[in-house]
Amino acid sequence: MHPVFKNALIGTAALLLVTSSSAVAQIGLTSNVATVALTATKSPTLTVSANVATATLASITDNSNANNFTPVSLTTAWNLTAGSSVSLIGWFATPAQALANGTDLIPSSKVEGRVNAAGFSPFTSAAVGGVGVAGGSLQFFSQSVSAGSYFGSRNDQLDLRLNLAGTTTMAGDYTGTLNLQAVVQ
Amino acid sequence: MMRYSRFVLTPVALSVILTLGARELSGQARIISLAATSPADLGLVVTSGAVQTLAGVTDNAVNNFPSPVVIQTTWSVNPGQTNTVNLVAYFAVPAQALVGLTTQIPSSRILGRMTTGIPTTFSAVTQNGIGGAGTAGGSLRLYSVVVNGGNKNSSRTDNLDLQLDLVGFPALPAGVYAGVLNLRVITQ
Repeated sequence: MHPVFKNALIGTAALLLVTSSSAVAQIGLTSNVATVALTATKSPTLTVSANVATATLASITDNSNANNFTPVSLTTAWNLTAGSSVSLIGWFATPAQALANGTDLIPSSKVEGRVNAAGFSPFTSAAVGGVGVAGGSLQFFSQSVSAGSYFGSRNDQLDLRLNLAGTTTMAGDYTGTLNLQAVVQ
Repeated sequence: MMRYSRFVLTPVALSVILTLGARELSGQARIISLAATSPADLGLVVTSGAVQTLAGVTDNAVNNFPSPVVIQTTWSVNPGQTNTVNLVAYFAVPAQALVGLTTQIPSSRILGRMTTGIPTTFSAVTQNGIGGAGTAGGSLRLYSVVVNGGNKNSSRTDNLDLQLDLVGFPALPAGVYAGVLNLRVITQ
């Protein structure tokens, strides 16, 4: 082979080799890694819901505690990050006027409640953890919670009655509002 | 036709004479091939939205992260040696895109959209990696640009919108869920 052609061939081969090396290097080339920090926060929640908005007592019997309202199913749900207990409190805003029929009043001390067939108690307790009214409240339950149970719920049946032992009422419709509120302590 | 042949043949004859003449003068010719390569370059910067905070997550709903992630990409590549420039978003561990105290949110629940790119509607970060960028099942190709002579040295700016899709996902325990979305450009 003529030396000129031979050298030309060697040079061309070298050039192709360099070029092919560069081609390989540019496929699969990666940049720096940029990052986006993502933070999503789920806020703590505490809810109480009742299956009905109204509990009724069709006919009051004076001088008796056999005045049962229709039962109410309650669901208390919590999703927490801290705290040691969840409590449910029922309370009347004005204890002296738990139920009213015009000027005829039934105080909260004559209204009793219980959950899950425990013993009835009147709504005469103090507030719990800032929830409720002094002399017009009743704690239905207090359940311990911890890191393993910060996310939970429970269902309870609330029974209400009028204890009118020693009391005679004026005929008419008596209405009132029982407030239900849960608190974490 | 004859006149044309004469014009063609004449330079060939001269070339032979000149080549032979050179050989007679120096005996050998050396050819040095020169090759200078400008290295390819890829750049990636998040100009805004690098920190995304979703303050109040709602269960069983699609939650929008508050602002777009603005991404600026630059490249300088050889169109003869590079077909495409691609931007990939990915999570290092797809099963744990966002990590909470007791619950992890997988990358399938993180949706991305780049209206100027490929996922023009919100799409889950569940694709496989591209080349050496990304992770299997935890990636999303955001764009792919065909390289040619006109854009071999170029840049672009895109907005990446992100969502947290909790539809059908079990209710999250309260708390903070944190993670890192990686972005990388790769040539193919």
